Amino acid sequence: MIDDTEDAKAREAEIEMKRNISRLSSAHYNIINDRKPYEEPKSLAHLTVKYNRKIYGKYGIASGVNPNICWPTKQEIADKKEFESVAFPYTIKEMMETAAENRRQQNLKIELREKDVAAKFAKLDQWKKELNSKIAKKAAEVQAAKQKKERLVEEVRRHFGFTLDPRDERFQEMLAKREKEQKKQEKLAKREAKEKNMIAKLQQQNIEINEKS
Amino acid sequence: MGSRQITEKSLAMLRSLPRISLANLRDNPGSRKNNKRGRGQYGGDKHGAGNKGSNQRQNYMRLGYETGNNPFYLRMPHESYYKGHHHRREYPPISLLQLQKLIDTDRVDIDKPIDIASIVKSGLYHFFPDQKHFGVNLTDEGADIFAAKINIEVQWASEQVIAAIEKNGGVITTAYYDPHSLLLLKNPKKFFETGQAIPRRMIPPPDAIEYYTSAEMRGYLADPEKISEDRLRLAQKYGYELPVLENDSNYSMLCERKDPRQIFYGLEPGWVVNLKDKCILKPKDEELLRFYAS
Repeated sequence: MIDDTEDAKAREAEIEMKRNISRLSSAHYNIINDRKPYEEPKSLAHLTVKYNRKIYGKYGIASGVNPNICWPTKQEIADKKEFESVAFPYTIKEMMETAAENRRQQNLKIELREKDVAAKFAKLDQWKKELNSKIAKKAAEVQAAKQKKERLVEEVRRHFGFTLDPRDERFQEMLAKREKEQKKQEKLAKREAKEKNMIAKLQQQNIEINEKS
Repeated sequence: MGSRQITEKSLAMLRSLPRISLANLRDNPGSRKNNKRGRGQYGGDKHGAGNKGSNQRQNYMRLGYETGNNPFYLRMPHESYYKGHHHRREYPPISLLQLQKLIDTDRVDIDKPIDIASIVKSGLYHFFPDQKHFGVNLTDEGADIFAAKINIEVQWASEQVIAAIEKNGGVITTAYYDPHSLLLLKNPKKFFETGQAIPRRMIPPPDAIEYYTSAEMRGYLADPEKISEDRLRLAQKYGYELPVLENDSNYSMLCERKDPRQIFYGLEPGWVVNLKDKCILKPKDEELLRFYAS
């Protein structure tokens, strides 16, 4: 027969109390026995939703916490929605379209550049040839001018019959004179060539007229 | 003669001494550390901070500062391809070889879909969502000897990896998780003990949308029809016969995928999991349901 009078219960409780020789605080004793630490809230933190959720998560329905606090309130949902509308302003579809457009633009840019390079590459040989001929022409001109100058100097030397310092006044005078003569001759040669050309043209015309008539 | 006398004498002394008790015990030398810093003329010397300079004043210089020299990290010319490196997403790698090892040593169960939670649970993969780690990058090392039929979900994979998994009759998906979801996946128990409802997974950022919507990368937002087309294309490219999924005995497992808003397999956003009571609480409120479904 089980004795469940008030006295027996009190005695049992007293025995239990005496058996607990851990010297732990009641909160710690509860925690290690897998119960919630406090029956009564001991600080302001114990009144918060976060703490109560944690207590429910850890100690289950036995903790006495109503599990409906686990979900956000209407206000919290509204706040969350507002946050998300700012943090994620675009839908997946919009982002996909933008990404596709960006990719298309990039490819177009690459394509244009490749076309440009190909067109230029096709002309490369011709440009190389032109450049080389230009350089050769310039070099030939320089060479001709140099030779002309040398010839003049040689002629002046021959005129005096001995090597004269090119910085000498007489030498300079003679050189100037020679150059003038040379220029005159060149002019004459040019005029003659022109006249010859004209005569040849006229003759050609005459022949054509004769043939026609 | 003398030594015996000494022994006897000391034994007699020991016998007459009091027994060891709390009253005459002393701590081991060095076991107690005084946390207080001495002050004043005799106690307050340098407190272990050395003599002169930054170390004594304990105004430690910022990282990279060289007391007025042109700092090393500024001495190189500007390298623009490092721009924003501290903001980029990182995917700590795990190779196919390592994954094979996890499977062979029974650390990962291949009868269920594998996701980052199960890889983390193996204990051999470490990642830290708070350090801009965004999940698993499955690399192709050991692709030649990989021989497991799995349904795996990773956050980044290359074409070779996809080919290696599909060659064995497996399925791979690349999926994006926001850092908060990754924290949940890393330690679900810790989250469930907070007593919160499971949140929704967020959508990927604009610079990752192309990857996660492309069928070539088996993105979780890609069109399933295009993915099945691409499986065939990849098989032809790599020259293997694509095993037919529909004929597989594990077809239902291989077809299992998470919803783009879902974080855990088998658990929907909005549910509360209580580990103590071993129960799942589902919301019934219309507004909550609408919110978690959106």
